[in-house]
Amino acid sequence: MKVVECKNLTKQYGRVKAVNDLTFTLAENKITGLVGRNGAGKTTLLKMIAGYLHHNSGNIQVFSENPFNNLKVSANTIFIDNSMSFSPALTLGQLLETAGEFYVNWDKNLANRLFKYFSLNPDQSHVNLSKGNKSTFNMIIGLAAHCPLTIFDEPTSGMDAGTRKDFYRALLKDYIAHPRTIILSSHLLEEIEDILEDILLIKNGEKLLHISVAELKEYAIGITGKTDRINQWLSNRERIFTHEIGNDDSYVVIKNECSSSELEEAREIGMRISQVSTEDICMHLTSKSKGGIDHVFSRG
Amino acid sequence: MSLVEVNSWDIVKKQYRYKLKSYLGVFSSLIIIQVLAIFFSLNGTGMSGGSSGTFSYKVNYYSGDLILVFMMLWGFITAIIITTKAYRYDDTSFVTNRLTSHFSNILFLISASLFAGLTVFLSSHLFRLITNIMNVDSIMVNEHTPLQIAKGIIGAGLYIFLFTSIGYLVGMLIQKNKLFSFFLPIVLVGAMYLDGMNNDVLIFHSISLYFLSETLLSLLIIKIMSVSLLFYGFAIILSARMEVRA
Repeated sequence: MKVVECKNLTKQYGRVKAVNDLTFTLAENKITGLVGRNGAGKTTLLKMIAGYLHHNSGNIQVFSENPFNNLKVSANTIFIDNSMSFSPALTLGQLLETAGEFYVNWDKNLANRLFKYFSLNPDQSHVNLSKGNKSTFNMIIGLAAHCPLTIFDEPTSGMDAGTRKDFYRALLKDYIAHPRTIILSSHLLEEIEDILEDILLIKNGEKLLHISVAELKEYAIGITGKTDRINQWLSNRERIFTHEIGNDDSYVVIKNECSSSELEEAREIGMRISQVSTEDICMHLTSKSKGGIDHVFSRG
Repeated sequence: MSLVEVNSWDIVKKQYRYKLKSYLGVFSSLIIIQVLAIFFSLNGTGMSGGSSGTFSYKVNYYSGDLILVFMMLWGFITAIIITTKAYRYDDTSFVTNRLTSHFSNILFLISASLFAGLTVFLSSHLFRLITNIMNVDSIMVNEHTPLQIAKGIIGAGLYIFLFTSIGYLVGMLIQKNKLFSFFLPIVLVGAMYLDGMNNDVLIFHSISLYFLSETLLSLLIIKIMSVSLLFYGFAIILSARMEVRA
């Protein structure tokens, strides 16, 4: 079953297209990472999936229904971000109880154990929590709700390193015990790539890649060597990223489409071939210009 | 993981319970306003007097009318408050759609209005007691039978509920476009001004007479319910395309 299906989905704010002509589907019971730079349209997309925003054109289906203002989608989806609002009149303990009333699959036991583990105070009010603890509390609700579609939008913002690690581990363990469709957005890909199966990379509201993490790891290679030789060897090949090292050396990232004989040839003329981390691939693919930040300063 | 089927009415009930707990703040404002209203009523809501030679008399009327008026304003403001983003977004953290959210709001406002109606009855008696302590010679005009008391509470609750429906619509209009918070008072004051230009307040008078002169409780229920549901319906239609945390 397709859990989320978007076709030519577009969302405009005034004249700016936050999400532009996006087409993709998410299959059931997979963890997908939504990756993109700031302002790429991640949150807008997730809010449309959660039924918070309506789209301008195209089509979006969640559980084969239009998610906007849809009770069935709301009952089967949970959207966790750091601006979730809870009534200040209720304590954290009461909020967990309330969540248990609303979500049919609520795992009370898990919620209580996580709550204790992160040493939250059940008598505190949500508004008085620190930023990190707010994220932690929201995350507990997101995990314990066991919704068939669970969306985390930058869930770890404000959390310390230890809590972040614990969260990802808890997410993975709970996912294995109760497989469901999870969308996780983050700009720290390195942290989450171990638990992800697929990656959806977007830039300026458009889809760049939607592939598995394994494929992404093989997506590109880095080449280091003398600039003129690299230029010669690359000739017309498309470069994902170019970085100059000193006066006559360069580091270039290209798509991993070369045959092994071509790579052998490159090594013979003194170039070094290296792997590129998934984080770097995404960063290079989504960068505003091919030269990176150095470009800004080199114009002087 | 298999999908969960939900029933709208079931969700409305859960939201209603959640709101009774989480909107507690509106009741503390009710108490404060009530104390203020009692304080203002202590002077009497009406006065007449006269004198002849060395003899003079003064009659003060004490009634719960002012308290009811204050509670109507309270209902109006409370309804506006729960249409604001802070309250609307609280719903979206759990299972909801626009319609269930409205219905649970209306249920909450009905309960709050009835509760406020009850407090109007109670506190109008409280301040009669206070006037007694203050050594005013008083005559009770109305003696109440339990049925009359129930009717009085429901009637007061209905008037308050009418004002919550107006507040809800006004609140929704303002949520739709902030300009309404500027234009609505102008339109209201302007209309009152125009209405009273010829020294006889025709439109506002007949509107209030339509509701206030009704002596049959069943008819009053029909009148107020139909008008307020009209307002609520309009508010619901207005908010149909509203986005969450946009």
